[in-house]
Amino acid sequence: MDNQALRTMHPIEIFEAVQDEAAFGDRYSRQLRFGPIGSDGQKRLRAARVLIVGTGALGASLAQHMTRAGAGVVRLADRDYVEPSNLQRQMLFDEDDARNAAPKAVAAARKLKRMNGGVRIEAHVVDVSKRTLGPLLDGIDLVLDGTDNAATRLALSDACFRLGIPLIYGGVTASEGMSAALIPGRTACLRCLIGDSAADDGADTCDTVGVISPAVEFVAALQAAEALKWLSGNRDAMRGTWVTADIWSFRVKEMKLPGGSPRCSCCGSDTSKAGDQRRHDDRPAVEAAVLCGRDSVQVTLGEPLALDMLRPLLEAQGCSLTVNPYLTKAELPDGKRLVLFSDGRVLVQGTSDAGEAIQLCMTMLQPYKG
Amino acid sequence: MADSTSKLDFQLYCITGANYHPGRSVVDVVEQALIGGADIIQLRDKTSSKQDIRENAHKLRQLTKRYGVPFIINDHIDIALEVDADGVHLGQDDLSLAEARQLLGPDRIIGISTHSIEQGLAAQAGGADYIGVGPVYPTGTKPGRAAVTTSYVQEAAAQIRIPFVAIGGITLGNVDTVIAAGAKRICAVSEIVGADDPAAVCRAFKAKLKAAANDSEAQQPDFAGTGVIVNGVAQRTTARTVWELICQHSLEERRIVVELDGEIVVREEWSRTPIREGAAVELVHFVGGG
Repeated sequence: MDNQALRTMHPIEIFEAVQDEAAFGDRYSRQLRFGPIGSDGQKRLRAARVLIVGTGALGASLAQHMTRAGAGVVRLADRDYVEPSNLQRQMLFDEDDARNAAPKAVAAARKLKRMNGGVRIEAHVVDVSKRTLGPLLDGIDLVLDGTDNAATRLALSDACFRLGIPLIYGGVTASEGMSAALIPGRTACLRCLIGDSAADDGADTCDTVGVISPAVEFVAALQAAEALKWLSGNRDAMRGTWVTADIWSFRVKEMKLPGGSPRCSCCGSDTSKAGDQRRHDDRPAVEAAVLCGRDSVQVTLGEPLALDMLRPLLEAQGCSLTVNPYLTKAELPDGKRLVLFSDGRVLVQGTSDAGEAIQLCMTMLQPYKG
Repeated sequence: MADSTSKLDFQLYCITGANYHPGRSVVDVVEQALIGGADIIQLRDKTSSKQDIRENAHKLRQLTKRYGVPFIINDHIDIALEVDADGVHLGQDDLSLAEARQLLGPDRIIGISTHSIEQGLAAQAGGADYIGVGPVYPTGTKPGRAAVTTSYVQEAAAQIRIPFVAIGGITLGNVDTVIAAGAKRICAVSEIVGADDPAAVCRAFKAKLKAAANDSEAQQPDFAGTGVIVNGVAQRTTARTVWELICQHSLEERRIVVELDGEIVVREEWSRTPIREGAAVELVHFVGGG
């Protein structure tokens, strides 16, 4: 868990834990008085290392729960930056973050640090995928899902079940939400429940039908409660169900989670297939993912970008730039926007055409690349 | 998939086998079969050069168009696309259904040979338009493969909802047994293309299939369906499995979680899990935002 162990290419910001027992000795008193946790549970929490994938609406709320509750390490991973449309529900961000296009993981970490200096907070500015998950999961006891798409969740489920790490799923759109604790050895994995990426992603996303913040908080609360149970040693108290809820019409339903599926290579007893990754192949070097409903395409170039060298080039092509240490946002004369990250990702905003997005990246960055 | 029979409406499936008719051309023999009433044709040729297969494919495409009958090519997706065939037929060891679908697009027919109910259900779940069920009897076209007998035909009749065609060693002498086991569609190779008069053999097959179809229509009382509760609403359904129910609700392409009587059913079990009278089913869309 030392910094050298994190062999990664993406930007990381780490806030080490600094205990101030004199001033904050009473910090956990109300949690200690809660019988099922007590001082034993608090000690276990102190030793726990949590990965939160996605630091948007759910992720920010989850991060706050884990940090205030006193987890030992809270590791945040998010590929995105703060925009004004996030502020209505993403509790850790403010107008300055949106103005500066701050990476969500870093902006969140800075807020969290002020809430509880006794927690080690790591911010990873990274596109979480099968390729990048290895180092992120290193030493982790539990993963909280704050992602916004099925593909990343399936990659997370595959990796967590291979490594034996519980994954607390949560999802939310409009006034609806769902949550389930998926636990290797106890429950089926996400792939067995919702299928692989051949199916659609569900027509409704927060970008098409919206989302209200009470729905987010409701789901985050369900996830955080399960995480606290697991990490404080109350593993028999795990709920064991998939909850679906609508907080507007108010309807809550629980469905019992099945055990592992015998023939599944992730959650099944058939370990001969463990590690069989044929169906989740590594992706090619340059690729583009259309971000549904956002009029955006994420292009992954497969090699790091030297942002400081690129800026003069972009300006020479008529772009106006917003710059921070993690990303460079370039407004093109025609209104399109390129958001460039040093790990080789480019968000192309103003198109939903993957081919056009790749073409634009190649044209705009060509003199640099050549 | 919800209406998978619309692409395919056939009873007698004829597959080519040039070794059974030395001295006569494939096109002549297939035309005889078409005259006799074969209502789907497959070009299967494991021995000729690709160029010869391509030439025959072009000719058979023209011929089947004239008779208004679907034309399927065994294995060669590239040739199927080149000659604008109606579809392809795959073996268990060929390209996967998903890969084939990607190459062929949504509209072309994909059939697949299956040798057990597990393979049949997997092909159905994977989006096949029809399956071959066999070999019912030992056959010269598939030497060395153990016959599955009519027991797989019975299983298929009970559990497979896409069209299935019984194949393998079927002759005018044994076809009644195959039909009695539940086959509504049958396929023959040597019995048809090896005959002196393929048209007469086809007419005889068709007569037996038609008589059986009329009988079963006359005998079967209307199936009133199973009473179930779906998302809190009581309804009757003809679906026999969770998968069929999902298809009837046109949710087969959606990401959903399925609960049956209080417990979630993993996807792999959908086509194997029966719907019983009084079952309570919840079909819930996966919520993906965050």
